[in-house]
Amino acid sequence: MFDVRFIERVLPALLDGLWITLAIAFLAFAIAVPWGLCAAILHRRGGLAAALTGGYVQLVRNTPVLIQLYLVYYGLPMAGIMLSAFACGVLVLAFQTGGYAAEIFRGSLASISVRQFEAASALGMAPFARWRHVILPQLFLRSLPALTNQAATIIKDTAQVGVIAVMDMNKVGQIWLEKSGNPFDVFIALAAVYLVVTTVVGLAGRLIERRLSFVQ
Amino acid sequence: MSVALENLPYLLRGAGMTVLLSVAAAVPATLAGLCMALARRRTPWLGSLLDGWLFLMRGIPLIVLLVFVYFLLPRTGLDLPPFWGVTLVLAAYYAAFMSEVFRAGFDALPNAQWEAGRSLGLSEPLLLFHVIGPQALRVALPAHLNLCASLIKGTSLASVIGLWELTLASLEVVERTLAPFPIFLSAAGIYFTICFALDRLARRLEVANG
Amino acid sequence: MAEPMLRLDSIEKRFGEVDILRGVSLDVQRGEAVVLIGPSGSGKTTLLRCINMLEDYHAGSVSLDGAPVGYRLEGRERIRMRDSELAAVRADIGIVFQSYNLFPHMTVLANIMLAPMKVRKLSRDEAEARARDLLLLMGLADKADLHPAQLSGGQQQRVAIARALAMRPKIMLFDEVTSALDPERVAEVLTAMRQLASEGMTMVVVTHEMAFARDVADRVVFMEGGLIVEQGPPQQLFGNPAAERTRQFLGRFMNAEGRTCG
Repeated sequence: MFDVRFIERVLPALLDGLWITLAIAFLAFAIAVPWGLCAAILHRRGGLAAALTGGYVQLVRNTPVLIQLYLVYYGLPMAGIMLSAFACGVLVLAFQTGGYAAEIFRGSLASISVRQFEAASALGMAPFARWRHVILPQLFLRSLPALTNQAATIIKDTAQVGVIAVMDMNKVGQIWLEKSGNPFDVFIALAAVYLVVTTVVGLAGRLIERRLSFVQ
Repeated sequence: MSVALENLPYLLRGAGMTVLLSVAAAVPATLAGLCMALARRRTPWLGSLLDGWLFLMRGIPLIVLLVFVYFLLPRTGLDLPPFWGVTLVLAAYYAAFMSEVFRAGFDALPNAQWEAGRSLGLSEPLLLFHVIGPQALRVALPAHLNLCASLIKGTSLASVIGLWELTLASLEVVERTLAPFPIFLSAAGIYFTICFALDRLARRLEVANG
Repeated sequence: MAEPMLRLDSIEKRFGEVDILRGVSLDVQRGEAVVLIGPSGSGKTTLLRCINMLEDYHAGSVSLDGAPVGYRLEGRERIRMRDSELAAVRADIGIVFQSYNLFPHMTVLANIMLAPMKVRKLSRDEAEARARDLLLLMGLADKADLHPAQLSGGQQQRVAIARALAMRPKIMLFDEVTSALDPERVAEVLTAMRQLASEGMTMVVVTHEMAFARDVADRVVFMEGGLIVEQGPPQQLFGNPAAERTRQFLGRFMNAEGRTCG
């Protein structure tokens, strides 16, 4: 049942797909974090900005990634916007993860006392310096565990971009599942790589957390 | 927009299937999650077993599991229809996360509640049913509802292995009408309506819990 | 008389329907230590926070060393300062809060160095030298590399004082700085403040510490209901208050203090 030779053949193909998976996840995450941060900061201003960002977060939380992918991949060309499947994947996952990141930052921001803002302004610090030196470092530190989770989630979510014809690792795996007639081994290899990658991301997050943490 | 309106009945039938699938998976997932959360309190070795399972479910994408089961099923000789295959995977996947939610609910109760119950001479099952259970479930319910919303979104992946539900229905309609925008938007709207309702309910319970 | 360091002119402030400050005017001379006392809800903390615009006010004006704070008058119009202008003025006003409000993610030293470097544009070396001097002054030289959470409340509050002093402010405001402290920690903070006053720092202090007010204040101001009821040198105010309300308030206070001490 478990054929080492066979896995030796599958694994390189999967790893080729892994680069696509990681590239999409990385790009999407790199866009989502600053994007989510902006949304969270906008949300704090209240009024229309809060309503818009709140609506955005709800939209992301309550619709499947798959539908979002279809909507962008098949819908955008109708509006005259031609994007590669890869770009569509990055866009959707960034949009999705940005919503969750906004939630995370919003929660952390709410947990930082207004007195921290006060203390910084009382020292004569201008708004930019206040955010840069006092608020943002605390915000990131508080958000780090949840962001790490989100990083693992985005890697798992990339597995869905195969439906819009991106050759990510899962899509490669699926093709092998179909043609090899040996689903068990392909599954084991595929699952193992995903487990390794998400675990490494989790550990890396915890490592960064430990490096940056201070006595609270 | 008239395209969307014309095909809305078809999409809604798909949504019916989505709901059916969700309920079929959420009920056993909830029960299994609850049992697991309880079982690990008394049997430590079971705890590490469940942790291992949770580790697997956390690290492997749901779609990978679904596709695997789809290819595996015909080879098992079991004549399990795809609906139940998908239900099984969804239930197994979400049971792991739900057990964590329920565990957190039990852990949120101070030990004094167990002690108070025991000192009254309540048997373990009575204690669980009348004292611990109601309180722990109240705490766990909002997070549980959020997981249910996540499960409903997860059912959309069933379309990838050809199980007909809302997402596959909308794909069919798009293929026929070549109107991706209105159709996928309608489908998104239906998912949103269901999940948002659950989300609001969860939020309200959370506020009520204080 | 010379131009005062701080001039508050008819400050008015409302929270919704409630009048918190009903036209308070107060001059503080250079080197003067003014202590604000009064029952809770009398508006003294709000007044203090209006001085550096942590609290906005509806009417009146504040000026520091002759220059306006918070609002500029153009003709008859009050123009609220832009954030950058406000930041520049606030740099000259030190404030210490009841709850310390140190930055938890920074060491003690970094807490003190931050604003001098980012606002005053001091070099790292200058800022560090200044910070270490102040820590020495506060008796905390060995705590420089700890984080706030590793310090007692009294130590944190002395760091907060050092942080404010590092900006070389023209005036220091103290907002019930000992109220959150354990009783045995109060003295160390009051000692630091006493020393500051004796060195000629201009100070406005909101406190419930009557002994401190009596010993350190050049002038004691009694507030109630958003108004200044009475003010004068401590001997006069504590020994022979003119207003009936002051007498009642102080009488109750002295009794309470007598009980806790006795």
